[in-house]
Amino acid sequence: MGVEYVSVQWNRQKKFYDAVLVGGVAAFLVIFSVLTKVLFPRVTDEIMLIRAFGTGAFLLLHIILCIGPLCRLNPQFLPLLYNRRHAGVTCFLLGLIHAALVVITYHAGSDTNPILSIFVSSPINGSVSSVPFQPFGFFALIILFLMAATSHDFWLANLSAPVWKSLHMLVYVAYALLVLHVTFGVIQGEGSPLYVGTVALGLVTVLGLHITAARREVALDSESRLTPHASRPTESQSLVTSSPTEDEFVDACAVADISENRARIVCLSGERVAIFKYEGKISAVSNVCQHQNGPLGEGKIVSGCITCPWHGYQYQPDTGASPPPFVEKIPTFNVRVKNGRVFVHPKPNPAGTRAKPATIDGSSRREEAHSVTGNSESLVTLAATKK
Amino acid sequence: MNDEFYIGWEAKAAPGIGKTLRKAVVCLLVLAVLVPVLLAMSQRMIGVSVFEWGAVKSFTGVLRTQPYPHLLVPRPGTNDYHTLQSVINSPASASAYHLVAPWKFGLDRASIATFDGKSVSLKGTLIYRGNQTMIEVMPDSIRATNTASTIGLPSVVPLGRQTLLGEIVDSKCFLGVMNPGHLTPHRACAIRCISGGVPPVLLVRQKDGPAIYLLLVSADGKPVNKQVLYSRA
Ligand code: HEM
Ligand code: FES
Repeated sequence: MGVEYVSVQWNRQKKFYDAVLVGGVAAFLVIFSVLTKVLFPRVTDEIMLIRAFGTGAFLLLHIILCIGPLCRLNPQFLPLLYNRRHAGVTCFLLGLIHAALVVITYHAGSDTNPILSIFVSSPINGSVSSVPFQPFGFFALIILFLMAATSHDFWLANLSAPVWKSLHMLVYVAYALLVLHVTFGVIQGEGSPLYVGTVALGLVTVLGLHITAARREVALDSESRLTPHASRPTESQSLVTSSPTEDEFVDACAVADISENRARIVCLSGERVAIFKYEGKISAVSNVCQHQNGPLGEGKIVSGCITCPWHGYQYQPDTGASPPPFVEKIPTFNVRVKNGRVFVHPKPNPAGTRAKPATIDGSSRREEAHSVTGNSESLVTLAATKK
Repeated sequence: MNDEFYIGWEAKAAPGIGKTLRKAVVCLLVLAVLVPVLLAMSQRMIGVSVFEWGAVKSFTGVLRTQPYPHLLVPRPGTNDYHTLQSVINSPASASAYHLVAPWKFGLDRASIATFDGKSVSLKGTLIYRGNQTMIEVMPDSIRATNTASTIGLPSVVPLGRQTLLGEIVDSKCFLGVMNPGHLTPHRACAIRCISGGVPPVLLVRQKDGPAIYLLLVSADGKPVNKQVLYSRA
C-alpha cells in the first residue's frame, strides 16, 4: 500500500482548536508563574518554571485522556477529539521543557553525567521519601516522545495500524508513571492537602470516565452480539434458504432499526460490523476505521460516503474503498434483506471488495411502515406499497 | 432524532455541536485558570533565602579551611547568636561566610591550603538565609593580603551529647541558590552537591523558634561528605 502525502488543510476549526490549546497553555503557565512570583518573591525562577511546565503537561495529559471516553459517552464532544494529536504533541513539549529545566537545575554542573544523575542520585534507603521518582518521569517522557514523534499519519501507515495503536496505548503507562512521579516526588515535599487532592481528583476523573464508557460499550456489545442461528430462531429459521453458504447469514436487525444515512453496529463472531441504510439500500462494512480505528458505525453517510466520526475519513459503502485519490480500504460484508430484516454473512470480504448492497424491497418497506405504527401516514405508505 | 454530525475538515460545525463545543471550551479555560491558581497558592516549601546571582562583590577576611572552607570577616559590635551553630562557629568578633565553588562543588581544599589562617581578599556572589551566609567564590579570585590576621580561633563551647532529628541538606542550595532547596524534590540535587564537596548541614526544624542549621563534621573536625552520602539512614 502506497503512502500518500496529503497536505494538511488549515481550516477554521483546526485554527480554533489550536488557538484554544495555545491560549489555555499560555494562560496556565503565566498564571502559575506570576502568582508564584507574587506570593513567594524569593522563589528560584527555574524551579518556578519547572513546576509550571510540569503541572501544565500533567493537566493537559488528563484532558487528553478524558476526551476519548467523553466522546464515547456523548458524540457531541467529538470536535475535541479531531485535533487531539496537537494536544498530545504540546503535552510532550511541555514535559520536555520541564525535564530539560530539571536536568539543568538539579543535575548539570556536578561530578556526574547529568542524565546518568537522574538514575544514580536517588539511592533507595527504604523510606518512602527515597523512592526514586525522577526515573518515572524519564520513562514517561520517552513514551510521550515516541507518541509525539509517530503521531503523524505518515507513521500510522508505515507502522501499520495495530502496531501504531499499541504504541499509543502506552499513554496509559505514561500516565501511571506520572502519577507515581508526582506521588513520590512533589507530594512528598509539598504535602499540602490541595496537592494531594488535585492529583487524586484527576485520577478519579480519568478512571471514572474510562470505566463508565467501557461499561456502556460492553452493555451495547452484549445487546448486539449475534451468532449464526442463535438469535431469533423462529424468524431466521423460516428465512434461511437451503444453500449451505447462505445458511450462515445471520439475522442482524430490522431495517427499521436503522435511521437513514446512519448505521447500526452489531457484533458478529466477535467482530463489530456497521450496517448502513442509505438511498433505499443496505450495506455492511467493518466497524473499524483504517485511520485510527474510529467507530465507523457511529459515522454517517455524507455525499454518498460513510464518514468516520473521528477525523472524517470516507469510504464507499458498497466497496469499502475510500474515494480516489485516497487509498484506505476496509472489509465489506455480504448482506440480504428479507421481510424487513437485515441478514449479514459473518465472513468479511477482503478490504475493498465490492459487496452488492441489498435493496430494501417492498416487503421490508412494509415492515418498516408497520414498525412506525399507529399514525395515518404509515397506513398511507402501507397502502402505497401494497399497490 | 438530532442528526447533527461533526466533520473536522468542514469549515463550520453544526449549530448544536458548536454550542456544546463552546461550553466545553469555557470549561477547559476555567480549568486552565483555576488549577494554576490553586496549585501556586498551596505551595509551602518556598522560604526566604537569597542568591545574589549576577552581583559579584569583594570580601576581605581570614580564610580557614577547617572543617570546611570559610571566611571570617571582622565585624564591629554585638554578639548576634541566633542558632546553636553560630554559637559554635562564629567567634564574637567576626562573621563567618561559608565558601563554595560554582555549580555543585565545594572549594578544593588542597588548592587553598596555602591561605589557611591568612588574610585574603576574594570575589564572589553572596548567598544567605536567616543569619547564615555563604559566598560562591569566583574561580582563582583568592589573593593573599598583607594585613595581619587579627582574628583568633573561635572558642569551643561543648554542649554535650544531644540527639537531634532533622533533614540533611546541601548548604549551598538550601541557603539560597535554590528556593525551594530541600525535601524529596531536591534530594538528588543535594546528593550531587554533597558529593561535589558542598558542606552538608543538618536542618533541625523546631516547633517554636527558628530552624537550626548544624554544619556536620566528624569528631576530629573533618568533613563528612562521604559518610553522609554512604550512610543509609
Ligand atoms: C526526564 C524526565 C523528568 C525528570 C528528570 C523530572 C523531574 C522532576 C523533578 C525533580 C520534580 C520536582 C520539581 C520541584 O518541585 O522541585 C518534578 C516534578 C513534577 N514533574 Fe517531572 N520530571 C520528568 C518528566 C516529567 C514529565 C514528562 C511530566 C509530565 C508530563 C512531569 C510532571 C511533573 C509534575 C506534574 C511535577 C510536580 C510539579 C511541581 O513540582 O509542583 N515530569 N519532576
Ligand atoms: S479514525 Fe481517524 S478518520 Fe477514522
